[in-house]
Amino acid sequence: MKSKFLVSSSPHIGNYLTTKRIMIHVIIALCIPLVASTVIFGLYSLFIVFLAVVSAVFGEWLFNIATKKNSTIGDFSAVVTGMILGMNLPPSVPFYFPIVGGIFATMLVKMLFGGIGQNFANPAATARIFLTLSWTGQMTKFMAPLTYSNGISDFFAGFTKLYVTTATPLAEIKGTALTGMVDLDLLDLFLGRIGGSIGEVSAIAILLAALYLIVFKIIDWRIPLVYVLTIAILALIFYENGYRYILPSILSGGVLFAGVFMFTDYSTSPHTRLGVCIFAFGGGLITMLIRRFGGFNEGACFSILLMNLLVPFIDRAFKPKPFGYKRVKAEKSEAKNG
Amino acid sequence: MQLTFKHGIHPNDNKEFSKDFFFEIMPVGERVYIPLSQHIGKPALPVVQKDDYVKVGSLIGEAQGFISARIHSSISGKVSGIINRPNSNGVMTPHIVIENDFLYNEDFLSPLLDFEQNSIINRVKECGIVGLGGATFPTHVKLMPKNKIKALIINGCECEPYITTDYRLMLEKPSEIMEGIEFVRKALGVNLSYIGIEGNKKDAIYSLAQFSETEVHLFKQLKTKYPQGGEKQLIYSITKEIVPKGGLPSDIGYVVLNISTVYAIYEAVKLGKPCFSRYMTVSGSGIRRPANLFVRNGIPISEIVDYLGEEQGVVKVVLGGPMMGVSLHSYSPVTTKGSSSLLLLKEKEIREIEPTPCINCGRCASVCPMNLLPMMTDKLILKGNTSEANKYYPMSCIECGCCAYVCPARRPLVQSQRLAKKLVNKNKIIPA
Repeated sequence: MKSKFLVSSSPHIGNYLTTKRIMIHVIIALCIPLVASTVIFGLYSLFIVFLAVVSAVFGEWLFNIATKKNSTIGDFSAVVTGMILGMNLPPSVPFYFPIVGGIFATMLVKMLFGGIGQNFANPAATARIFLTLSWTGQMTKFMAPLTYSNGISDFFAGFTKLYVTTATPLAEIKGTALTGMVDLDLLDLFLGRIGGSIGEVSAIAILLAALYLIVFKIIDWRIPLVYVLTIAILALIFYENGYRYILPSILSGGVLFAGVFMFTDYSTSPHTRLGVCIFAFGGGLITMLIRRFGGFNEGACFSILLMNLLVPFIDRAFKPKPFGYKRVKAEKSEAKNG
Repeated sequence: MQLTFKHGIHPNDNKEFSKDFFFEIMPVGERVYIPLSQHIGKPALPVVQKDDYVKVGSLIGEAQGFISARIHSSISGKVSGIINRPNSNGVMTPHIVIENDFLYNEDFLSPLLDFEQNSIINRVKECGIVGLGGATFPTHVKLMPKNKIKALIINGCECEPYITTDYRLMLEKPSEIMEGIEFVRKALGVNLSYIGIEGNKKDAIYSLAQFSETEVHLFKQLKTKYPQGGEKQLIYSITKEIVPKGGLPSDIGYVVLNISTVYAIYEAVKLGKPCFSRYMTVSGSGIRRPANLFVRNGIPISEIVDYLGEEQGVVKVVLGGPMMGVSLHSYSPVTTKGSSSLLLLKEKEIREIEPTPCINCGRCASVCPMNLLPMMTDKLILKGNTSEANKYYPMSCIECGCCAYVCPARRPLVQSQRLAKKLVNKNKIIPA
């Protein structure tokens, strides 16, 4: 029978949030640290992120063309992947890094496993690790924040290669782990006047973005909270004079950025509230183990990837019982005993 | 402190369309088409023939078996036959057609004089009363529980958006409802009754409380949250007791009835009026004049729409609430005992139905009042893996629609739960 009206299963009303709107919210939130780092590192860092976005979208588009599937770039999730990848790169990397990384992230890590929601590993984290292992030297070389001593020309320092490199605070944290003599300016860490990856440096910008995402209910606040708390507790335990390492550990490196934008990736985090807490705790543990005892100064991305692998097990182990389940079980055992 | 349950959603309640309108009587046209199946259980057996004269309240369909309900005529006039017409699901079902003589001669039962347990239950059965909240489960079955009942719970939540019939009943017929509660208490032999009403309807609480004896009627203010009126959620909100999985409220000593049903019981006992009509909200931005109507059973939806006026651009017509109601294919289905509301919805009000891939955000799981993982059932059942899907407890799903409401990918999660239930039953898999 031809229907005059739209006929579909209940419910007939829905929330305003669609996949696309969620992605737009995340893009808006990502723009906050992006603006901060453009000021801190100059225009070239923005250019890097731009290239990462374009190539991530291109990778997804190309995959759809090659496999003769409908285009999926309209949901903007590739833009988010590209932005997160770009902001994970040091601000002075050669222009082909974000291009290789962006295509790698969407084509190989995301689309090959079935596209949005299907990938088991975080595309941006995997791409960053891929780039780090391919070009370790350049991926661990960080430019110093601009001082603007030469006026506006500093703003274009990335293009002209006229910048100073610096060690990141993570190097100092690692170096002083046994002596406990850490000496970092917390205000610099908070504002982002430190060396580091593009998106990671400005703690205040990331916290604002986190607030935005939590207010709009885009991310689960438990993930960043548990992750950061785990980092704090382990800093206290792992380092000599541990209390002096709590804030530096949280504010430097990728902890805040990963906690807010990467551990919260829907596809690669567990389903349930308890599950995500375990997930975030595990992430914090691995991050701190790598930072303190591993070969790299930073462990956030590795911890994401390792915890991603555990997500199916966490989901299975913490599968929720339906409302009313326990009582039945209790009665059954009573029946057995009786 | 407002009582509540875990999870759930906060949809825009949209009750302001119709909440301030007094009930009005929906005029009846030339003929009514009374379906023989207006309840859960076996359809009624027709007991009238062509050219029989029936009055308002005459028995026209006899219940078949225990879980079934009687059907009564809603007007007086001549039976012109039994025809097949599409019901709200679009399935052709038998309807008794009665030509209206516009005399409305009544054929009610005599009012009940002795308020004994058995006579009240019998009266409810005779009058064909079913759960008027929308589930349409025969009420006399609920009044004869196997277990000992601790308390009666009256569901005044009306948590579905748009609907305002129970709210209007509580404001306009409070003494009748309180008297109805007395009858149900006698029928069940219980002393205690809880009356649960959401916090956005405080005036309804005051309205009812005027007529209550406070020792036995405990008014409970509940948080405005969907699905607060779900049986299992309501019991948990009020008593913090949990109905076991796959069980009934009576298993833990509670019986839940909604306001409309209690009012129907009042009418049956006190006035001898069989259940041939109900109160119904007509709302949505597609209706020119939203209203709360007294509707007799068997009136085609098209007549109601003509009576209240249709706006341009109606894309979806829903019989029942927007969360659990049925979307109609046309205006030809008729009003039944379960039609709590009729909604004419425009494009801007409805949920998009084109699904996109699941992004695994977990929102469905975080709102599910039954604590299920709807995305897993959806994923597995669409792959055809029924036995795996069964491990995610589709049988516990109450089809409230919270999951699909929040799903950003607009996946038809309730539909896949229904499919899973069907396939689990069909393949005779033991429900997990």
